[in-house]
This record gives sequence, structure tokens and C-alpha cells, in this order.
Amino acid sequence: MKRFFTLMKNELKLNIRDMNMVIFALIMPLAVFIVLGLIYRSKPAFEGADYTFLEQSFGAVCAVSICAGGLMGLPLVVADYREKKILKRFKATPASPGLLLGAELAIYMLYCDVSLITLAIAAYISGAGFGGSLVKFLGSWALTAISTLSIGMMVGGLAKNSKQAGVIASILYFPALLFSGTTVPFEIMPKIMQKLVGLSPLTQGIGLMKSTFLGIPSGNTAAAILTMLLTTAVCTGISVKFFKWE
Amino acid sequence: MTAAVNVTGLTKSYGEKTVLKGLSLSVKSGTVFGLLGANGAGKTTTIECMLGIKKADSGTSSLLGLDPKKDRRRLFEQVGVQFQESQYQNEIRVNELCEETACLYSSPADWSELCKKFGIGDKLSAQVKSLSGGERQRLFIVLALIPKPKLVFLDELTTGLDARARRDVWKILSELKKEGLTIVLTSHFMDEVEALCDEICILKKGSPVFMGTVSEAKEKSGCEKFEDAYLILSEDNAE
Repeated sequence: MKRFFTLMKNELKLNIRDMNMVIFALIMPLAVFIVLGLIYRSKPAFEGADYTFLEQSFGAVCAVSICAGGLMGLPLVVADYREKKILKRFKATPASPGLLLGAELAIYMLYCDVSLITLAIAAYISGAGFGGSLVKFLGSWALTAISTLSIGMMVGGLAKNSKQAGVIASILYFPALLFSGTTVPFEIMPKIMQKLVGLSPLTQGIGLMKSTFLGIPSGNTAAAILTMLLTTAVCTGISVKFFKWE
Repeated sequence: MTAAVNVTGLTKSYGEKTVLKGLSLSVKSGTVFGLLGANGAGKTTTIECMLGIKKADSGTSSLLGLDPKKDRRRLFEQVGVQFQESQYQNEIRVNELCEETACLYSSPADWSELCKKFGIGDKLSAQVKSLSGGERQRLFIVLALIPKPKLVFLDELTTGLDARARRDVWKILSELKKEGLTIVLTSHFMDEVEALCDEICILKKGSPVFMGTVSEAKEKSGCEKFEDAYLILSEDNAE
């Protein structure tokens, strides 16, 4: 365990020094939430809704930081280490792929945690009310985070170099940001599009976070949980099994 | 004396180009073995195939009696490696790189002591990228020694070092050898090879053209100076 925490501590220092994740996983989601708050104030989500637009968006804004870490930060850092031959040096040590990926995963999980806390504070100040079950909401949040991060881990574990990882990351990150209900509300999309983006574990996660935050019934909870668990298991398995050092 | 390294029939090609042609060699425990040859002769590929970092097309490699592919994690508890190109994270500092390396081993050496020994003890909080070439080279030798290895691979160990630093490194390595360390190194400096190596192998286009001691090399080529002997032998295709 000591090797894990020492590795994580050093890698976290480097990550913070790099600033990218501080901006995209901490500051950006908070800024999005504040802007939404300023625009919508305490307007209801739709006419006659007994919750506000801001309350409805809380889960989606949490996903902004999850996407930044899982679909951008994590795959890029691992692929960059491969390209710079840092992983090659690790290959000539007793380090296992699980240790390296685990330490990086923990760092991005930490970013998600910190972001959640800052958003919760901002929500409290803005007067957004929490109407659901805290345990269920945190469970949905954790599942969303871990399944998205596992996708990033798989991309990082397999991409040849940081350029390839960058392309894959962009293909995943930007549509995720736009279409999974993170920025564009799921409800205003055409039916066919809803069906398509509904396949993504991120969309499922955001839907689940939303319903558990507001305390309203969700569509198909079991299917959403299953999709995310399956994604996590498959992606983690692939990333460790087929990990490329060089 | 047992063999610390045992390699048989190592072959490796990159596409059409064959880089190693069935190389076999063995390094006795507690000795220093030098791999020599011109640029592109296959020295680095030899080391990487021995270590299992690159997959050889055929042949076997056994280090300290272990198979580097199957027993990778157990093996690298006892084997240190300094690669020719040093690789490090962008913004990392010397102490962070040392600590991060040390944490991977079950009983690592005291790295700040090692840094002092190699003359970079005052650079611990400097960024690795801000070090001079020679300082960085010494740092990567330190990293290779952090596992308290029984066997260490040093690829072009003193490239970029000034004369003083080179002598210091030789002295430290000779001391470590006395304590039983086995060293496999590559070098382009013949004075260094002569000072350190018990046995050498001269590679030419992936095949050994000479294997033996420095004095045998001189004898065989009829030269008094080892550098001349090296030049003659590495151009000679007879063997």
C-alpha cells in the first residue's frame, strides 16, 4: 500500500503542477454551474415543475468534471508516459500495470471528489435544494465516475502514443460533453438521438444522478446500473490485460 | 563462479533488418561485462532483449537464474537498468523521481546518500529537466542503483560526463563490484572499458566479432593500445 500512496502522491503533485486538470475538472464545472445559476436563478426546470433548472442540472455538471478526468486527463497522461518511454522505465522495475493505472485512477477520482464538494457548496449557497436520497445520489455519482474513468483507462492503456490518445479522447470527450445531457439537456433532444446517446454509460449515469438528486422516479434504474457496472468491468479488464508498456 | 547472465541464440529483426544474429553470451557473477560496437551494431537491442523489454524473435535469456518474461517483477527487485535515453515526467524534480523509483522496491537504497555519492546531492529539489547533461546522466545511474541490485545494466553510462565525473563514476562502480555487483555496460570510451571491464564482446551488425578479455583483444590484434585493437577487431570479419 505504501508504494501505491507514494506513487500517487508524486503523480498528483505533477498533475497539479500541470494545471490542466485543475482548470478542466475543478474550475470549469464550477464556472458552468455558476453561469447556469446566474442565468436561471430559481426558475423551475419547466412550467409546473416542482424543482428548478439548476437543481435538475446538478448531476450533469458533476459529469463535466468526470468527463474531463476520465475522457481527457487519464488517457492522455498514460499515453504520454508511453510515448516518453516513462512506462518503458517502469517496465524494468517491479511495478505492475495495475499499480500504475490504479494510482492514476485514484488521482482522477480525487479530482472528481473535490469537484463534487465544490459544486455541493455552490449549490448550497445558490439555494438549490436537494430533494432525493443522499446515499442513492452518491452511489449514482460514484458509478458514473468509475465507469467513465475506466473507459479512459482503457484508452490510455492501449493507445500507441499521445496523439492517438488525444484523437480518441476528443472523439469521446466532446460528444460526451455535448450530447450526454451534460450541457445540452437530454429532454430537448429528438427521440432518435435520445435513443442513440442513451446507450452511453455516461448518459445513463447522468440520468440516474438527476433522478436521485431530485427524488423523482427514473426510467430504468436496473439497466442504468448494469450498463455502468458492465462498462467498468470490461474496460478495466481490457486495460490491465492488454496494457502496453511501449 | 555462477553466471549472472546467460543468453543463447538471441535473434531480433525489425521488419527486414536483422539487428541481432543469434547472439550467445554469459556474464560471470561479480564481474563487469562490456558490450562494444559502432552505433547501430545492436548493443541497445541486445540489452533490451536480455531484459525482456523487447521481445526477441528467438533465443533465451536468463538473468540471475530467472526468466525476465515470466518472473519480471521478482527479477527487477534485484536488477537495475539505466537506459540510453533518459525518460522522466515533464515537471518532475530530482527528489520526486528518486522517491517514486524507490517506492517500487521492497528494500531500496538510501537515494539521497546515492545522489551525494554521485555529486548531485545539492540538486535534490531541482527539476530534472534543468540539470546539465552530465548531472542527468548521473541521476539515471543513481536510479539504476536504487534497487540495491545484484545486477545492473548501464547503457552508455558515461556519455555526457566530464573527465572528473567519469573517473568518479568508475571509482564508485569498482567499489560496488568489489561488493559483488555484476555490471553489464555499453560504452564508446575505450579507456573506460579498459579500466572497468573484465570481459568484453565486440558487436558488428548484430554478430559478435570478438569475445574475451581486454588483454586478449590486444594480443589477438597485435596492438598495444586497446583503442587500436578495438578498431581493428571491429572492422575484422574473420570471427
